[in-house]
Amino acid sequence: MTDASLPAAAPAPRRGIATDLAVGALLLALAIAAPFLIDSRYVLGQIVLALFWASVAAQWNLLFGYAGVFSLAQMAIFAVGGYATAMLAQYLELSIWAAIPLGALIAVVFSVIVGLACLRLQGVYVALLTLAIAQVLYLLIVTDTACFRMEGTSCRQFTGGATGFARFGDFGMRQLLRGDWMMGNYAIVLCGFVLTMVMSWVIIRSPMGLAFKALRDNPAYAVARGVNRFHTQLLVFALSAFFTGLTGGLYAAHFQAIGPGLFSLSQLLFVIAIAVVGGVGTFWGPVVGAIVLMLADEFMREAGEFRTLGLGLIIAAVTVLLPRGLVGKAADLFRRRP
Amino acid sequence: MPEPDIALSLEGLTAGYEGPDVLRGISLEVPRGRIVTVVGPNGHGKSTLLRTVSGLVRARSGRVLVGGAEVQALAPHRIAAAGVAHVPQGDLLFPEMTVHENLMMGAYREADAGVIEARLAEVHALLPRLRERHRQLASSLSGGERRMVGIGRGLMAGARILMLDEPSLGLAPLVIEQIYEVIGRLREQGRTILLVEENPARVAELCDTMHLLDNGEIVWSGPPAELMDRDELLATYLGG
Amino acid sequence: MLDILTAVLVTGLTNGALYALATVGLSLIWGSMGMLNMAHGAMLALGGYITFTVVETLGLPLPVAMLAAVAAGALAGMLLYLGIVRSLLKSGGPGFETSVMIATVGIAIALQNALLLVYGGQPLRQPFAISGAVGVGAGVVPLLNIVIVAVAVAVMVAVSVLISRTRMGRAIRATAQNRDAALLMGVPVGRVYLQVLALSGGLAGICGVLVSSITQLTPGLGADPMLKAFIMCVVAGLGNLPGAIAAAFGLAIIEAAVQFGAGARWGFPVLLLLVIAILIWRPAGLFGRAQIRRM
Repeated sequence: MTDASLPAAAPAPRRGIATDLAVGALLLALAIAAPFLIDSRYVLGQIVLALFWASVAAQWNLLFGYAGVFSLAQMAIFAVGGYATAMLAQYLELSIWAAIPLGALIAVVFSVIVGLACLRLQGVYVALLTLAIAQVLYLLIVTDTACFRMEGTSCRQFTGGATGFARFGDFGMRQLLRGDWMMGNYAIVLCGFVLTMVMSWVIIRSPMGLAFKALRDNPAYAVARGVNRFHTQLLVFALSAFFTGLTGGLYAAHFQAIGPGLFSLSQLLFVIAIAVVGGVGTFWGPVVGAIVLMLADEFMREAGEFRTLGLGLIIAAVTVLLPRGLVGKAADLFRRRP
Repeated sequence: MPEPDIALSLEGLTAGYEGPDVLRGISLEVPRGRIVTVVGPNGHGKSTLLRTVSGLVRARSGRVLVGGAEVQALAPHRIAAAGVAHVPQGDLLFPEMTVHENLMMGAYREADAGVIEARLAEVHALLPRLRERHRQLASSLSGGERRMVGIGRGLMAGARILMLDEPSLGLAPLVIEQIYEVIGRLREQGRTILLVEENPARVAELCDTMHLLDNGEIVWSGPPAELMDRDELLATYLGG
Repeated sequence: MLDILTAVLVTGLTNGALYALATVGLSLIWGSMGMLNMAHGAMLALGGYITFTVVETLGLPLPVAMLAAVAAGALAGMLLYLGIVRSLLKSGGPGFETSVMIATVGIAIALQNALLLVYGGQPLRQPFAISGAVGVGAGVVPLLNIVIVAVAVAVMVAVSVLISRTRMGRAIRATAQNRDAALLMGVPVGRVYLQVLALSGGLAGICGVLVSSITQLTPGLGADPMLKAFIMCVVAGLGNLPGAIAAAFGLAIIEAAVQFGAGARWGFPVLLLLVIAILIWRPAGLFGRAQIRRM
């Protein structure tokens, strides 16, 4: 059962470090050029959003595609990071720059508790329990009606209740850059994104990454060689929670708002869809998936209410037709050619 | 339509799993009412041969004819319907079902309750232990009893040909004797059987034709008595 | 005191019956093909809405409407098999468990959204509503709850007879216990999977009618019972049918007690904590063996 609970994703294509660096440099150059080429604030804002989802999907991919942890609490961890950032800024009046890393650490603490409770179990049990934990967290937040403190004439619940938090501070780019504030936010979010991608790359190439590969390809051998599945998975769960929580904090600061809608199943599905469409277990998959799905989402905006319906069908179709996603498919095509 | 004289015939059968071919160009015939044995060392394709006939492993080339009809392209459950009853290695019983239910699963393709009753009576006459164990779960049986349920379940199909994959594997000597006694009775009843076995000495007296399978190919065929006299063959292929 | 006890028992047993019905549908599929159907909740909602339409729009009697819900659920299950599951099984491999889960989450979202587009997001009242109450001992039990429990138990008994006594049920169990052996017996395994998904879909349909009768008809009505039913299957050890039914009733009564004692919002959190505690104690579930046991 242990190997059955790991994803089918074939080992990442053995392209060299050079290829990854080249792709990374190209993407980075494009990303740096983007704000100078695009003058629509809306488009730039959508790219910022794509960077957020690409980060979260990349962290989920690290967990599921490499470490074999099928967690459905990814958006919950993201939301914990965002909520913690907002609450620290709101209640303790911390600067947003201090609140974001602290929020990420709180996300780590949360993930370790979840991990201790779930990760000893088999694959699908992990999926069901993490989903249930996320759902419970959501329910506790939206049903929170107890007054924590009065703000003017309105009463604020400790968790923000059904409305969430707003106007707890931002990056300060509006004062600094005025009309070009979006470029400033874009730069900050891009830095965060690059940091998460570099860290996942390092983790995948580290001895821990090798341990995952061993656990996936030959669990019995890996265990015999002293790889402890639980400890390795818990470690990567916590590491990815840090960057997921960090992204959540950046998200809260960028929008100056955060609410319980982040816990919704369709939001989680969007992130999973990004990884699946791009290719689970491939390093660039989440980036490709984010670009493709944000574009698809943009086109489906025309279709308005059919958007979610379309998203659901896309993810089902891709799972059936492209089991290794676009990047996996592309890698197959490359390999077939001599 | 009279039953054809050749119950099963394989023509140039080649098959394998993901890697290279495990079977290469196997041809043999099992005439109606005869017992044909394939012997050979472990890991040389004996089980794969039976699994290919029953469709669990896809044939890469060659033909499988059951009662004269080609079946190699069919799904396993259709091959079973064509008249092949495969008693696989390691029994593969339904562990959470009773002995009776396991036997009834053997007759899954048969709709006529009277026919099923008659076959059940035959199986019970041949293997009286199964009648005693009737209501017991298959997972609670001893190794020998499980093997008997496997054989009984195969007989319940009323198939053209019964394929037995190493029926004595892993059993105590006394139990092995009982199993071969049962196969002897099946021979007296005139059943058509394709038997796979590692040790030719055990089955020499039970069968009509013997094929020696080595490294995926049939290297010798003939009457069993002849093989038993060919010490050099036994030494080369079966290690004595 | 006594009336609180009655209220806890009534709520607990009613929810328990509903959860149990949902766990049976989920366990059947997990046990026979190792598949977690995340679209089960959306199929519950489908059944609820079909009944609503047949009664309110077509004006047909309720029993016909419930049969229509069963048929719609069964059809949805069959389409799920033909469109998704069959191909995923064919490409097969160890990734099936997770890929089928992801694909069915996609289907769940799509189906739920389709219902939203057709019926709108406003909660509707399920015509399956029976008024009146019966005095039992010191307390009063609404007739609706009694009917729900009765229907759920009757359906479960029917399913258990189907599984244990009929040729089709025997083929389903055989496929679950040993797929290769079932093939060798001539069991068309693909058709068995189709039947299992149809059966489970039909169960989802009727379960949806019952769930919506005590709550309301919304596109997301199945999500909560499905998630709890999954949790109960996990506690029992996935694929263990009788265990899952027992866990469903036990946990539903505990949930009801917590809701009465500490407030409605604490029911699910306490339930989940309990489940996690049980799984730390017995990682394969209460009745599970170390190796996951099939039906």
